[in-house]
Amino acid sequence: MNKTVGAKEGLGAGVIGIGLMMLFLPGASQNIADLDFVASEPFSILLGAVYVLGVIIILAGLGVIFGNFDSEE
Amino acid sequence: MASKAKTRAARIPLTYVVALVPVAAALNIVGGTIRSALQLPIFLDMIGTAVTAIVLGPWWGALVGAITNIVNSFLSGPISLPFAVVNVVGALVWGYGHRWGWGKTNVGFFLLNILVAFLCSVTAVPIYVFIFGGATGHFSDVMTAAFLAMGQNLIVSVFSSNILVSLADKIISGYVALAIIEALPANLTQNLMLPKAEGLNRIILPVVGVVIGVAVMLIAIAVAS
Repeated sequence: MNKTVGAKEGLGAGVIGIGLMMLFLPGASQNIADLDFVASEPFSILLGAVYVLGVIIILAGLGVIFGNFDSEE
Repeated sequence: MASKAKTRAARIPLTYVVALVPVAAALNIVGGTIRSALQLPIFLDMIGTAVTAIVLGPWWGALVGAITNIVNSFLSGPISLPFAVVNVVGALVWGYGHRWGWGKTNVGFFLLNILVAFLCSVTAVPIYVFIFGGATGHFSDVMTAAFLAMGQNLIVSVFSSNILVSLADKIISGYVALAIIEALPANLTQNLMLPKAEGLNRIILPVVGVVIGVAVMLIAIAVAS
């Protein structure tokens, strides 16, 4: 059992982490909007969060394109 | 090709990853809980993120950041979930900055922490302003109020307070992470491009970094009061 992991698996794990965040965002947006001191609507909170996560997913895609995985052992 | 091989992350046994990722997330959560309990003027929820991003790679650090804030959103309310993005950005900057060799000298490592602080603030300020209206109940709200009273607009006030807190936080987190990395098994850290220190300097270097971070934190407290 000497399995090793590298940059490719790390990238996959990071994208899974972002996916987990996205799964929790709709419920969290509603909970945040329900807070007393928050004036934003759930839709706008979700919209902003999805835009930012979209940028990070694009960065992950660039990591896949430009990453040097072939020469890993 | 040789230089490319140097900048590429080495392969790491899966057992280390399985052990380090949950421990790093737990370290972040404990740090955030200590901060909440003691009402400290810093965040302390990115030490594990820094350790993982530097040792395992930027995207493993991003996973730790995401796990940290998702778990925190169950423990302390939904406010922390949008800030998961800040944790992810910190992981990417620490991870890629280290991988590209920006942190291999003392000055470089210090500047890398400052770059992390700046980019985390740039990411956090829109969340503060557009979602929470500029305040979340953190110590930095006091500074934001002080800057607003000086006549600054909301975005400038939130950025000014957040960058001060973030600078102290990321310098402390970066050097505590450096101390933790020094204590990890040698076969896990032998390929890392970090400031080289021998003997007593291995302790002195993180301590000096933490002292600088605390000094920045005291400046923030002085500004707030």
